[in-house]
Amino acid sequence: MKATLLLLVLVLSCRLGTTEALAQHSTVYASVVSTKVFVVGGANAETGLFYQHSSDDTTWEHTGANNIRAFGVAVFTPSRGQVICIASGNGIHRTTDAGKSWKITTGWKITEALWVTIDPKDPAIIFCATPYGVYRTTDGGAGWEEKSRGLKAKFTSSIVIDHANSKILYCSTEDGVYRSDDGADMWKRTGLSVGGVRIVAQHPKDASILFAGTDDFGIYRTRNGGKYWEKCEAGLDQSTFYTITFDPNNPQTMYAGGYVTGVYKSIDGGESWRRVNEGLTTLNVHSIAVDPTNSNRVYAGTMWGGIYRSDDGGATWHHAGLSGSQVWRIIVQPF
Amino acid sequence: MKRYFGYLFLMLGLATSTARAQAVNRETYLREFERRASFVTSIYDTMQAPGYAQIAVRYAYRHDIAQADSMFIALLEAPRGDMFWMIPVIGAYLHGKDKMSPATAATVRHAWKTYAPYRGDTENHWCMYYSALFLAAEQWPNLPASEWYNGKSSHENLQDAKGYLIHWMKITTTIGQGEFDSPDYFPEYVIPMILISQYAQDPDMKLRGQMMADYLFADFAAEHLDGQYIGGFSRIYQPAVYEPLLSGASAFAYLYFGTGKPTNSGWAVLPALSDYRLPDIIYRIAVDRSMSYVEKERKRVRNVIRYGKEMNPPVYKYSYITKDYGLGSLQGGILQPIQQHTWGVRYTYGRPYTTIFGLHPYWSGLELGMFFPEEVKTLIADVVASKGTYNNPDKWTSSSPYERTFQYKNTLIVLYDIAPGTTTEHIDGFFPRNLQERIVDPSGWILCKAGETYVGWYPLQEYEWKEEPGERGRPPSVGSQLDNERIKETGCWRLRSHQLQNGYVVEVRSKDEVGSFDQFCAQLRTHIPQSSLKPGNVSVQYRTLGGDTMAFTFPENRTLNGRTIDLSETKLFDGPYLHAEVGSEKLTITYKNERRILDFKSVKITQ
Repeated sequence: MKATLLLLVLVLSCRLGTTEALAQHSTVYASVVSTKVFVVGGANAETGLFYQHSSDDTTWEHTGANNIRAFGVAVFTPSRGQVICIASGNGIHRTTDAGKSWKITTGWKITEALWVTIDPKDPAIIFCATPYGVYRTTDGGAGWEEKSRGLKAKFTSSIVIDHANSKILYCSTEDGVYRSDDGADMWKRTGLSVGGVRIVAQHPKDASILFAGTDDFGIYRTRNGGKYWEKCEAGLDQSTFYTITFDPNNPQTMYAGGYVTGVYKSIDGGESWRRVNEGLTTLNVHSIAVDPTNSNRVYAGTMWGGIYRSDDGGATWHHAGLSGSQVWRIIVQPF
Repeated sequence: MKRYFGYLFLMLGLATSTARAQAVNRETYLREFERRASFVTSIYDTMQAPGYAQIAVRYAYRHDIAQADSMFIALLEAPRGDMFWMIPVIGAYLHGKDKMSPATAATVRHAWKTYAPYRGDTENHWCMYYSALFLAAEQWPNLPASEWYNGKSSHENLQDAKGYLIHWMKITTTIGQGEFDSPDYFPEYVIPMILISQYAQDPDMKLRGQMMADYLFADFAAEHLDGQYIGGFSRIYQPAVYEPLLSGASAFAYLYFGTGKPTNSGWAVLPALSDYRLPDIIYRIAVDRSMSYVEKERKRVRNVIRYGKEMNPPVYKYSYITKDYGLGSLQGGILQPIQQHTWGVRYTYGRPYTTIFGLHPYWSGLELGMFFPEEVKTLIADVVASKGTYNNPDKWTSSSPYERTFQYKNTLIVLYDIAPGTTTEHIDGFFPRNLQERIVDPSGWILCKAGETYVGWYPLQEYEWKEEPGERGRPPSVGSQLDNERIKETGCWRLRSHQLQNGYVVEVRSKDEVGSFDQFCAQLRTHIPQSSLKPGNVSVQYRTLGGDTMAFTFPENRTLNGRTIDLSETKLFDGPYLHAEVGSEKLTITYKNERRILDFKSVKITQ
């Protein structure tokens, strides 16, 4: 009941804000694992969730606990930034008031959460990927259940909720890409069984198309919801990919990055790729995000190099803050 | 004046510690414990630099309360340290809560609302984090979620913390401790348990705290020699690996067993102030080395999150302990990342270096990826940023997938079958320069003498020696000035062998066991190992000085006098003093006709 009311309020507030949100601005969120050296118990620089209210901002603000090694971040889009989750070493943190207050919703069993995803239709349903399996809550974090049935390897690093059917999920594991058709109650391996899949990403329009980035075997694509995968070869001369993202306004345009890759760009839906690294001085890229309100504006979160930004669709890059940080994930939310 | 008394205590402490500890009756033990505890705390009693140990001592002794208050408030202006902050802060608070000013109490409470410690990524972190959180949640019950750094209410925090601690106790007493027998991380477990035993309001948890403290101390008592942890360890830092008395556990051996050397470790302050007292039976085990014995134990590998079939595979530990030396080993392989010490012999003669050991210095992203969730390709750089020796080919701590051991009593065989191209393509041996003898004998044996302990090392392949200086510039610690007078040489002779199929046999004996050093050497000359060293077929057969025949084929084929050794039969504890079955949640401690049973299933101590 509470969840339904919250959803109603959030959807209403979303609708109220829609007009002014259109083409107004985007908020950029960046989850930071570490800055320079991180030693447990040491005098570490601030980690956690950073954000820019507007993608025109030049400085980053911090929200939430400042020493949590934030791997993942998810925003419930209809809430206009009120509902945010962070996946961190301390578990899953959640705010429902745009960061005024936070709660670690998970207990001691969930540690080193690497990814968090909120159901786009119900903010009470949240999934997280951890080295110990997949977990799900259906009540906004009051209770979490492990949902790893069917996974042969529990180390999971990303989860996608199918935008056409939220009962369908995909997750990247150490044993390939897995798919669930029942909201994570049961997982089955898809046709991709290479080890060390680090990321799975879904085409924003065509739900049957997904891409997977791996630790050693490059990038794979499926056009049929995971039944068959083909390796993307043209133009890719590196093998380790941590991030694959689409331009939401033109999904034929894609970006990918990983270990010593810099940024690769494709303008033909992943058929071919080319490096776009001018100005990018850190080549270990862990996250890339495109501003939905401005497709030319692209962010690259690097490992120990902070954030780089391109205002020309990746042609050139400049440093955009959080120097020395390992930026695990960036998301850009239009408001 | 107080400083003077501090040094007086020091001298008294040294008077006992330089001689091997003899068991004393309970009254005397308790009196001497108080004296050692006073020595530990006396240093912090007058120290003017702010610190949580200084604060705790002032509150506990009810003096300079105003100074303790001001130190506390000043330190809490900028909290840092995660669980290494939580434990000393809650410890200092518990000693002072009835004495501190309301403003100080409010500042402490406020810190638990505003400072969010990182929970960490390993067992000692979680043990400290949840122990401190448990105690804090008990101290401030019924507070709403908004009053805690993590947005959970007092009740939620209490339940969460208790849940973890009971889980940790259960897994430890059924399949073994994960960060087992760590000379450097022993305090990180025992301090939280001592605090819980003293301050928990929940009677069940209070008793559990006491039982776990007993459990950890019993484990240590059976495997130490003159304050030095013996055998293979999950985690140890350089330089404690070759200077054993530097380790954190040794500070506790001094405080609780009266062995080793006096310590000024800040970690020992909260235990020194506590009302936890070592049960007499554990103390007697700790100081009785009149009988040589074998101690076999089963532990578990730290959580394997990638590349493994099992999350916590077993660790098999074998130790042989005498009054003069201890030889101990783990079975080999990757059991812990970064800081594993697979085998070593430690002896009572000489300081600071009292050990001989060997290793294959290995590092890889795959090893780190087994245990850490960050990206495999960048993990080495991540680790090296804080643990600089990790990818150093000359390092002195390491696990290796290419190393296996086979120990029977005081004889050890170590074999290597190293894949070409791996890091590194050599093995190393550590021979301290303060050995009395290090003879390269024509028989092939390297014959060493350290007081009344004799060590023979038979390399199976050719090797070279490299003389290396000791560490310079380290400030002297309390007690070290006297030690320095005894140190003639620091540093080591490094034995390095570059063959990939490799190994050695180590025999350790004492004067009591074989007579003179010359007799030891003469005996060894007639005991030459027979080996086959080909890729994929590395084996050795050896008749020990004790007349037993050991045959070992890498990696897991071990036979003793023709009988196959099945390590999986190893119990949780199996020695003359400690016994526990796998899965039992029960440790039976025996000494002569005394017995103490720690039963975690029924949460009961039977004496």
